[in-house]
Amino acid sequence: MSADPAEDRIEAYLGEIAALLTGPRGHRRRIIDELRDGVREAAADHLAAGVPAGHAADAAIEQFGPPEAVAAAFAGELAIGYARRTLILLLCTGPIVGVCWLLALGLTPWRTGMVVLLAVIPALPVVAAAVVLAARTIATTGSLVRWLPETGPGPALTATAVVAVLAILVDLAVAGRYLWTRPGVSVAAALALTASGFRILACLVVLHRLRSWRGRVS
Amino acid sequence: MRPELLKGHLDALLLAALEDEPRHGYAVIETLRTGSDGTLDLPTGTVYPALHRLERAGLIASRWHTVGGRRRRDYQLTAAGHAALAQHRDTWDRFSAAVTALLGRPVTPPTG
Repeated sequence: MSADPAEDRIEAYLGEIAALLTGPRGHRRRIIDELRDGVREAAADHLAAGVPAGHAADAAIEQFGPPEAVAAAFAGELAIGYARRTLILLLCTGPIVGVCWLLALGLTPWRTGMVVLLAVIPALPVVAAAVVLAARTIATTGSLVRWLPETGPGPALTATAVVAVLAILVDLAVAGRYLWTRPGVSVAAALALTASGFRILACLVVLHRLRSWRGRVS
Repeated sequence: MRPELLKGHLDALLLAALEDEPRHGYAVIETLRTGSDGTLDLPTGTVYPALHRLERAGLIASRWHTVGGRRRRDYQLTAAGHAALAQHRDTWDRFSAAVTALLGRPVTPPTG
């Protein structure tokens, strides 16, 4: 509570909006900071226009609209922000997990070639499909929308879920095949299994969080 | 004015509001309202997310700074934003000329 009741009403209003937002914490904080500046500017304008001090904050809050409507308006941008951030992280972890498995399996693709690589890791086409889908979604939700058809929040979240599921399937397939066919676990394999384990956990968290958007975006 | 009438023109209006100088979100709303004599009184829920989308598209850039102890986000046009605005203007000129030619009422002298 502050000494200014108007200030308290604005903060309570922003608190209601904040409680309704879903998405990355930093993104939500920036939205609330931006709205706080806007509502206070609006209140100052009402005050300057002759609205009594006690009512200027209420007039500004009314001008900005009900918390439910404001939060709903930001749902799409928050969803796209989450999808982009998650897909970029998954794309970045791909080469790390991949190199771990190449070391564990003793593969040198530049010597053995793609045919041998495919024989040892049959899930490679699935990896390629996931990479293409992730890259396409990142491209069509970023600055490339000036030239490419834009991907909306719903399809971006769906693509994120698909990539997360594909990553889990690939990790399970490669790890399962390794454990099934090799008698022991080398240090490199332990490292690769750990990397895959972390990625599976991360993808499960992503899939769990994606459920919170159900019905909020289209 | 019905919000659906703005469909397809919101990006151009926001870019135009930022053409002269960087502005924060509320100032953009006020610029559009005062610049249209109150006709375009856009809701917060329309303007702020649209500004974020334009930034994601690289047409505007934002900068945070502190004013009176609170954080403020100013938006300004990028080079791509200036080009997009010029393109929107060209499209609008042709569109409005065509619609005016069809909907514009001929001035008829009073009879009697």
